[in-house]
Amino acid sequence: MTSLLTPPRASDSPDEPTRPPRATRSKLGRWALFFAMIVIAVIMLYPFWVMIVTSLKSEAQFLAGQGFSWLSWKNLSATIPIGQEVLSSTIVCSASILVILLVGLPAGFAFSKLRFRTSTAVFLVIVSAMMVPLQAILMPEFVNVTKLGLTGGYWGAILVYAALGTPFSVFLFTTYFRGVPDELIEAGIVDGLGYFGALWRLVLPIAVPAIATVTVLQFIQIWDDLLVGLLFIQNTSERPITVGLAVLAAGRTTSIPELMAGSLISALPAMLVYLGFQRYLVKGLTMGIDR
Amino acid sequence: MAEITFDAVTKIFGDDVRAVDELSLHVADGEFMVLVGPSGCGKTTALRMLAGLEDITSGSLSIGGAVVNNVLPKDRDVAMVFQNYALYPHMSVEKNIGFALKIRGDSKSEIKRKVEEAAATLHLTDYLERRPKALSGGQRQRVAMGRAIVRSPRAFLMDEPLSNLDAQLRVEMRLEIARIQRILGVATVYVTHDQVEAMTMGDRVAVLRGGRLQQVDTPQDLYDHPINEFVAGFMGSPPMNLVRCHVRPGNDRVEVDFGDQTVELPWHYTSSHELPASGLDVVVGVRPEDVIITDASSPNTIKTRVERREALGAEILVHLTHLDSNADTASSDPGALRDISRRAPLVAKMGPRVHVAVGDVLSVQISPEHAHFFDATTGVTLRRR
Amino acid sequence: MNVVTSNAPRVRRMTLRRRRQVAGFLFALPAIALVVGFIGVPIGQAVYYSFTQWNGLTSTWIGASTWTQAFHNSNLWTALQNNALLLLAVPFALGLPLVIAVLLHQRVAGWRIFRSIYFLPTAISWVVLGLVAERFFAYQGTLNSIIHALGFSHVNTNMLGYESTALSALGITFVFTMIGTNTMLFLTGLATLDPSLEEAARIDGAGRWRIFRSITLPHLSRFIQLAFVMTVIALFSALFSLIFVMTGGGPGYATTTMEFLIYQTGFNQGDFGTAALYGLILFVLTGIVGVVQLRLIGSNE
Repeated sequence: MTSLLTPPRASDSPDEPTRPPRATRSKLGRWALFFAMIVIAVIMLYPFWVMIVTSLKSEAQFLAGQGFSWLSWKNLSATIPIGQEVLSSTIVCSASILVILLVGLPAGFAFSKLRFRTSTAVFLVIVSAMMVPLQAILMPEFVNVTKLGLTGGYWGAILVYAALGTPFSVFLFTTYFRGVPDELIEAGIVDGLGYFGALWRLVLPIAVPAIATVTVLQFIQIWDDLLVGLLFIQNTSERPITVGLAVLAAGRTTSIPELMAGSLISALPAMLVYLGFQRYLVKGLTMGIDR
Repeated sequence: MAEITFDAVTKIFGDDVRAVDELSLHVADGEFMVLVGPSGCGKTTALRMLAGLEDITSGSLSIGGAVVNNVLPKDRDVAMVFQNYALYPHMSVEKNIGFALKIRGDSKSEIKRKVEEAAATLHLTDYLERRPKALSGGQRQRVAMGRAIVRSPRAFLMDEPLSNLDAQLRVEMRLEIARIQRILGVATVYVTHDQVEAMTMGDRVAVLRGGRLQQVDTPQDLYDHPINEFVAGFMGSPPMNLVRCHVRPGNDRVEVDFGDQTVELPWHYTSSHELPASGLDVVVGVRPEDVIITDASSPNTIKTRVERREALGAEILVHLTHLDSNADTASSDPGALRDISRRAPLVAKMGPRVHVAVGDVLSVQISPEHAHFFDATTGVTLRRR
Repeated sequence: MNVVTSNAPRVRRMTLRRRRQVAGFLFALPAIALVVGFIGVPIGQAVYYSFTQWNGLTSTWIGASTWTQAFHNSNLWTALQNNALLLLAVPFALGLPLVIAVLLHQRVAGWRIFRSIYFLPTAISWVVLGLVAERFFAYQGTLNSIIHALGFSHVNTNMLGYESTALSALGITFVFTMIGTNTMLFLTGLATLDPSLEEAARIDGAGRWRIFRSITLPHLSRFIQLAFVMTVIALFSALFSLIFVMTGGGPGYATTTMEFLIYQTGFNQGDFGTAALYGLILFVLTGIVGVVQLRLIGSNE
């Protein structure tokens, strides 16, 4: 756990130990290993290969199994309102993450440093909500959100995503702040801060690595999700990209090359976030057992 | 600037843990008050109550004449230096020092001026841009100090600020902090477990034990006239020798039996002390430096053998046992003497040029004017007030 | 420097501890409200509605017979059976990543690049991976191309098209989607292994397999446990995207799992009450796994 709790250092990445590579392996063994790695890489890259190659065909070329053209890319926006959908995804994603952070950060601070009478029990209840899959409460949730009139715009989806992401963020922030010495907050309080001031001017800046972890994990989670967007955003003009793709795919009338082009676009943002912030992702995943 | 008054302040943790028990203490404006005691004696709790980080169970605590029991820390206008410094990791040294001023709403130019002034006082001018991570322990300590002094608060509260430094730096910063405090003249409450710090830094020293105040006095008075065995044993290194003895006040002298050897002490002790007339056991205390080697022909000597010898360079500590060691080290107070009882009955502090070896038989004298007498059951001094 | 006591408002009389607690409670309140409102309350509602006939607007109390009816519904048993069969994928979803992590841990040239490549599919939506998987298993898909290339030109598979094979195809896709996450977990675990332990064992004459079994694997046990829990939870609650895109639950009910059954019952058949009831069953199933997970976290704190 400490790896996340100490301010990040250059050598602090848990997935990059200082151990030198093994030199004892035979030359043949090394080549066999390298070959195995290549094979796995090919398998893991297969989805990208399919998307790229398929999207570079017209529907006719796809059915014929040969030839390449930009036609599907050119027609893409006519089939899928890709710009609108990416925009919707971005709005829902950012707003949800913002809510998750705004709600999770003070709660983590409270559960770790400002403990109140029942805080441990409350914390455990919130954390155990991590285990509740949306499907288990899907029907009442859907009816509630609909009755509140929130399925018309983005708010229904944003709040549901926020509620689903909050338990994890509360857990992560609480664990993170437990590693921050109490004296740091006390110093701020003696220096003249109130609790809100301490939250805003000390806790928030200190929590930057934890904030990054929550943001990256939730971004990928929400950007890639289907169910919430499918049910809690009723206007087709406000559909996120995954919903747009899934609905077209399920309809089985859309040109597959165009679907693949759309898929590629939808996959891009999450991949970029992923490659840029891999470190925070690993930390978030192993939170709780990595020490 | 302000005076500080603890009036029967008590802190109870949970249901029955009395961390601080009826503490009454007055710190005058500008005074450097050291709270000293072993760990768990309540000194840090007392300080935290003063800072407003801990509630007061009963009693009243005032700063500058106003009761602050329920006043928020930010409204107390006191500055605190923490043991682990608690520097804000995301701010430069400059921002760290100026943080309280910024919260207070001082103007930018004023903050800059004050921070630079404080930095100059603490020799931090070259490090203002650095983050705490990039500083040495001593520099971090200075930043913590700077954060306190820049505010010109009504009081400084310091919680073992030197305990994370190495020995040499500690000595250096000890002088530095005392110097700065004297210049600024701000009432200071300084918590430490180190009696050397207490002796060298405090205008007055308050010794605490088990949440109770034992004695408040100037360092020298504390050293010369400890009020009980605990204070006697705690202040001074090595601690005072405490030996349970038979004492017989006579007409012109006081006879003290160390085992079956008898030493005569001047008669005035019978007037300055309430010595039991019937010759009951008392605990006699002698500072190691008051155990003096003489030659065997001198009167009033105790014959001893050297058990251990610790050369400290500037001085030698010699652990002695009586040759006929029937006398026990004893005390009414097992806690105070837990360590002492394992030692030889007498420890003497001697100059480095004295040649002694383990096994030597030495005649020692007790410096006649510097004996202490404590009640064998209560541990309280028998000195009249 | 006057102290703020004389004209202090009434709130100031609260003890410091009380004030800290009040601040703490207020800070936690939004999180509590969100979780209670959007997760806690619906659980209670689900219990209530599971005893009713409910179409989303009006509900009629039926009583416990809704439960007996539900358990007589063969669709529920099919879904539960599908979930149980999919559990067979879990060993692969753990074993393959373990092997991959160990290979990566050998640090052959370019291992960092390989690592990034192996993890990359983790970033992609399961909607997209489902689309790709559909291409893989399709009649003119990659799988048949491979089979033909291997010389079996008369063999043509269509795994998603048949009840007997659709679930297997879904399971294979699931294993693929879990590889990145689990490999990442195991690699992190391996990185925390003290290399001097392995070296000491090697000096003691232990072979490579021996070292793996006696040192590496026990060290990884916490990570394997965590991966197991995460994998099972994903299996119960994250397949929706794959199923929605690849099979729509079919053919027939061949790939309808509990979570998909809930969706179908509620939104295709409009039977909200029964769907809520199914939700509770899923809740209990994941709850069992969740308790294991909490104990895992707890044992490490």
